[in-house]
Amino acid sequence: MSIYLPIAEMSVNIFILFGMGAAVGFLSGMFGVGGGFLMTPLLIFYNIPPAVAVATEANQIVASSFSGALAHFRKGTVDVKLGVMLLIGGLIGSTLGVYIFSSLRSAGQLDLIISLLYVVFLGAIGTLMTIESLNAIRKSKNNDAPVKRKTGHDSWIHKLPFKVRFRKSKLYLSVIPVLVLGMLVGVLAAIMGVGGGFIMVPAMIYLLRVPTNVVIGTSLFQIIFVTGYTTIIQSTTNQTVDVVLALILMVGGVIGAQFGAAAGHKLKGEQLRALLGLLVLGVCIRLGYDLVATPTDLFNVIGYMDGGGH
Amino acid sequence: MRQFFSMLIITLISTLLMAAASKAESLQMGISVDQVPVSSSFNGAEIVIFGSIETTEQAALFRGEYDVVIRVEGAPEDVVIRKKDRIGGIWINNESEKYEAVPSFYSILSARPLNLISNSIELAPNGLGLNNLGKNVPVEGEKTLIMNPGEFSDALLRLRIEQDLFSEIPGTLQQLSPSLFRAKLSLPANVPIGEHKVTAYLFRNGEMLNTNESSFVIEKVGFERWIYNLAHEHSLIYGIMAVLMAIFTGWAANAMFRKS
Repeated sequence: MSIYLPIAEMSVNIFILFGMGAAVGFLSGMFGVGGGFLMTPLLIFYNIPPAVAVATEANQIVASSFSGALAHFRKGTVDVKLGVMLLIGGLIGSTLGVYIFSSLRSAGQLDLIISLLYVVFLGAIGTLMTIESLNAIRKSKNNDAPVKRKTGHDSWIHKLPFKVRFRKSKLYLSVIPVLVLGMLVGVLAAIMGVGGGFIMVPAMIYLLRVPTNVVIGTSLFQIIFVTGYTTIIQSTTNQTVDVVLALILMVGGVIGAQFGAAAGHKLKGEQLRALLGLLVLGVCIRLGYDLVATPTDLFNVIGYMDGGGH
Repeated sequence: MRQFFSMLIITLISTLLMAAASKAESLQMGISVDQVPVSSSFNGAEIVIFGSIETTEQAALFRGEYDVVIRVEGAPEDVVIRKKDRIGGIWINNESEKYEAVPSFYSILSARPLNLISNSIELAPNGLGLNNLGKNVPVEGEKTLIMNPGEFSDALLRLRIEQDLFSEIPGTLQQLSPSLFRAKLSLPANVPIGEHKVTAYLFRNGEMLNTNESSFVIEKVGFERWIYNLAHEHSLIYGIMAVLMAIFTGWAANAMFRKS
């Protein structure tokens, strides 16, 4: 059954999109990630214009992160103070990101930059994750004790000024790295159409030394606001949020996530991380291949209906 | 429908008889719809353009000396064509050219190939045929298609043909009788929204005699129209609505999670 998307202005198969939403939702439920980094490339492979894919995906992530954050609120694993600090940086970053997005779009380099950012970030994170989890699997086989997390007051990040106490995270930390991290993820969220959890979570664990139990909830908490804000800014600046597309993906996503979460409980943490790492690397290689392989058509054409350009 | 057509043809013929007095040879035309609605189930459409050749020279009409060519054009737009080049191992959009006033949709309907109907001296100034596209538009901008022929304008034509937005297909017009004709226009799912101009040209032995113009509009209706207008005219409200929809969906999903 085909459905006409009013903003993307194209006819698409509703079942394929629903299936994509469900499949990515399954993976995000299983691995506890937002899934934006998988969904946006998938939409682009499906010929949704990248500008629409990115902006619409931000809208979808609001739904999945809100759903996830509610569960964490109930368990009490959200550091609201830390989340708000990250959020302040995130809003600045997102504004900047949407501005960069608009200017890249009019320069005709948006698709390239989106692909490049994906290849770089997915490549780096996929590699780290795979190596780390393979080591963990090897260690658990050798019955070694897991490496203890450093309590960490030794790194340069913890020597910066403007320190604030984050009670829930049991941290006494400068606001500078928190704001900078929030901003960086905000920029990426706007340009790449992701929540940024896949960068935020490792950065919170390894750079800020936030305890693992509050990391996901706090990250989800701030992602709701950053992606919500990005959705509104994309709507007013670029008019590229397609709510019909977003709704199909959301419904598929939340249903898939239920089954994914159940499947996730049957696998060990390090096995999950290894699988996710390989998946991330797979998407990275696919996107990277498209950048270096000779395109089937060297030309592309863009029309501006209003005659004025953007 | 048949009755409607015959009624219309009778009306056409009577108007033609009146028109014929003023001009020796002319052309009447009607379109099956004024408006093509684009709703959520829109997946392209087919419309019919019909009409008649009016002439005092019945003998020539019966000898088949007349030809009708119909040009359908969407609103003109500026287009940018970009060419990828390999830079540092990756393919990057590099050179580009901009063309002004290129029709967003272009279709030529005729019974026979255009080169059998007339020659380029008659066809070109009327912008008939893909190779004459845009030549009927007065040159105002610095770059129209005719002024910069080359690989970029070739690529533009090729891409638009691949997207089903440009076409020139002989046999899309049928001569029902020596004077009556009917043409079928296929609109693809990606047809641009807006007004489309329909111009019919009457040829006799290759010479262009007369034209007639009409138009139809392709527009979003109902929910699609509402969404599109909201997104463009009240984009802030649209954005807030999108976020609220997402929060509601997330909340609903969470509520269902807890029950199960």
